[in-house]
Amino acid sequence: MHHAYLDKFAYQDSPVHRLDSRVKFISLVVFTIAVLSLPRTSVSILACYAIGPFAVLAVGGIPLRFALKQIMLVSPFIAVLALSCPLYDKTAASAYFGPCAFEISQGWLRCFAILGKFVVTMLALIALVSTTPFSDLLVGLQKLGTPKLLVIQLGLLYRYIFVLIDKVQHMLRARASRKLRNLGYRQELRIASSMVGSILVRSIDTAENINIAMQGRGFDGKWRSLNKLQMHSTDWLFAAIVCCFLLILEFFIKPILI
Amino acid sequence: MPSAIEIKDFSYNYPDGTNALSEITLNIEHGEKVALIGPNGAGKSTLLLAIGGFLQGQGRVLIDGFEVKKQNLKKIRRIIGCCFEDPDDQLFMPTLFDDVAFGPLNMCLEQKEVEKRVIETLNFVGLAEMSHKPPHHLSAGQKRAASIATILAMNPKIMTFDEPDSSLDGRHRNNLIRLLQGLNQTLVIATCNTNFAAVIAQRVVLIDNGKKIADGKSQEILLDSDLMLEHGLEVISKNLI
Repeated sequence: MHHAYLDKFAYQDSPVHRLDSRVKFISLVVFTIAVLSLPRTSVSILACYAIGPFAVLAVGGIPLRFALKQIMLVSPFIAVLALSCPLYDKTAASAYFGPCAFEISQGWLRCFAILGKFVVTMLALIALVSTTPFSDLLVGLQKLGTPKLLVIQLGLLYRYIFVLIDKVQHMLRARASRKLRNLGYRQELRIASSMVGSILVRSIDTAENINIAMQGRGFDGKWRSLNKLQMHSTDWLFAAIVCCFLLILEFFIKPILI
Repeated sequence: MPSAIEIKDFSYNYPDGTNALSEITLNIEHGEKVALIGPNGAGKSTLLLAIGGFLQGQGRVLIDGFEVKKQNLKKIRRIIGCCFEDPDDQLFMPTLFDDVAFGPLNMCLEQKEVEKRVIETLNFVGLAEMSHKPPHHLSAGQKRAASIATILAMNPKIMTFDEPDSSLDGRHRNNLIRLLQGLNQTLVIATCNTNFAAVIAQRVVLIDNGKKIADGKSQEILLDSDLMLEHGLEVISKNLI
């Protein structure tokens, strides 16, 4: 196992970890909608929205450094999109950050808004994933009415992505141990495509074996799971806190900052 | 009372036409611990798949009196538990607890009964503390024990194991031996490790090139050095039996 970092904080114990996965998931969805629906010129309010996920991370004992590293891992995709905005929209605009006001182009405003929204929603997502074991999240999704087929797919994806990563790592190690010189672009491409093909064939084999193992234990196409989730007073309290937080931001803070 | 496993003239060809099993006839009684031994590619795993009802060939396979055919598969899968070679294929749920619960849930047992079985089984295999861990957090030996727990929780009369000792170190192999020796079920264990077969099984069936070569008491077959060497197997020490 070389990749525990993906879910290494989900099995800790804290008040946030003990919350029902459904409450956390619904809170994440509502929070994300609230952040994404903010006007694209309102950058400063994002700092206030970020308090929510920061608080969850702090109570859950998740190091901020870990969360920021995870954000950095996926940021290139959004960064390309955000940084392209100033190139095509150079209309002048005024921006306010608290009492400070300065002149800036619409493109840069949009860029900051995209990056800010991305960081805040990613923080919320990391807060959810790092405080909820994936199995609980799947049960929660199922209870919330997500199609069972999708839940099964997600469960198998989570289980076998690690097996697949291991296989890829073994193949790369085997290649590195025998590749003693630079082979050139074409040869490298040939080797890479043959490795991808090999992984694909092995994945199909694994899928067939899993199917046999599932049938062997009586699987008949119906997904049955234990009802492990129960709403407690702390879950309702958390839901109330999230609602109050979003309402205060919407009706009291937003009018001041925007 | 019908035999635990009854195989009559069973033959199987792979889709490409290669002959995998030829006219295998075998009777295994309830409570027997049988090792299927043979070199790699002998047909041991294919025979286990046929016993588990995953392959349809020529001839008959009966499990506790039920013929292996589509109509009987639900009954048969309550009787027989199959443990496959790679634990990663066997452990497909997000946590160990869910994995062990998978079979009992498919048997439509009550939630309390499922939870009781899972806890008992995990205690039996010594993995109770790992119950909420994802399978990728377990070591090779723990994964093997977990694989056994997944079928043990279904309380089957017959259990089959495909190379259960592969990729285990000495300590984990000894744990596995203790675990298997503690089971009262009918066990069919496919292995190419004759030392492992000697300590686990009272009866040994030698298979090579898809044919049954020998069938008898462990000491008679495993100590026959000519037979073992002829079929590419290790000769065991007399002290083991």
